[in-house]
Amino acid sequence: MEESFNEKQSLELITGMINKAKNKFSESGMLYLVWGIAILFCSLVQFFLSSLMGFKNVYYVWFLTWPVYIYQAIFLYKKKKKETVKTYTDEILGYVWICFIICFFVMIFILIYSKRFELIYSAILVIYAIPTFLSGAILKVKSLLIGGICCWALAALSMFIPLQYHLLLISIAVILAWIIPGLYLRNKYLAQNKLAQQS
Amino acid sequence: MFKDLDPILHSQLRLAAISILISVKEAEFTFIKEQTKATAGNLSVQLNKLKEAGYIEITKQFKNNYPLTVCKITAQGISAFEEYVKALRSYMPDDNK
Repeated sequence: MEESFNEKQSLELITGMINKAKNKFSESGMLYLVWGIAILFCSLVQFFLSSLMGFKNVYYVWFLTWPVYIYQAIFLYKKKKKETVKTYTDEILGYVWICFIICFFVMIFILIYSKRFELIYSAILVIYAIPTFLSGAILKVKSLLIGGICCWALAALSMFIPLQYHLLLISIAVILAWIIPGLYLRNKYLAQNKLAQQS
Repeated sequence: MFKDLDPILHSQLRLAAISILISVKEAEFTFIKEQTKATAGNLSVQLNKLKEAGYIEITKQFKNNYPLTVCKITAQGISAFEEYVKALRSYMPDDNK
């Protein structure tokens, strides 16, 4: 790769290398899918147990998400171990999700502390939308952008729907914002890996 | 008027490496090797030339007890790359500018 080359070849080489680095899509969609399915399951179980069957204190169902936290920690550790390049996109996305986690827990704390329980699910919908929409903009994935907008729309809609059905809005939101885009990202990631193996 | 091309960057492998590094925050030696399809020895020599020119930073770390070389473009490297592209464009016919 050391022979002399002309100006046109130089420009082609630059473009080719920039595209190679730029097109390295590191989002596998796995965490969107795992979290989406976990939240869908917990919200539906809580809805059926509390709203339809009349059980009290079924919030414990959310403890089922704890194994997902452990899975996520292992997943991210392994991903970091395998990574050979750090892109600006990955860095910004990392900060977006840190903001989401902080906003989520601070908002839940504020609403519980001020005893505004009726607003919890609406607030969660508003907060879900932020990382989803931003990830869509950063990764240029339309389904995430649409998912984020749907979360905001569902949050507004929750003001006109009885509280007992808010959990169903959460279920719809995770399907639209995380599970469908997660499937899209997963397919894209697998297709990219297949291409890389072939070349 | 034609501008002189920076001889440090006007080499295929060095230019390929700097083009990768301008697009990412930092990259491991193995990543650059994979993308450029260069041999480890040749890439190592060329990266050292870029480092001596002050265009990139090379840090040696350890990952899972294995040595790891991480490369990152410097501010000087970014402006040299921009100047190089500007100079290249002066060689191109007007319709390509």
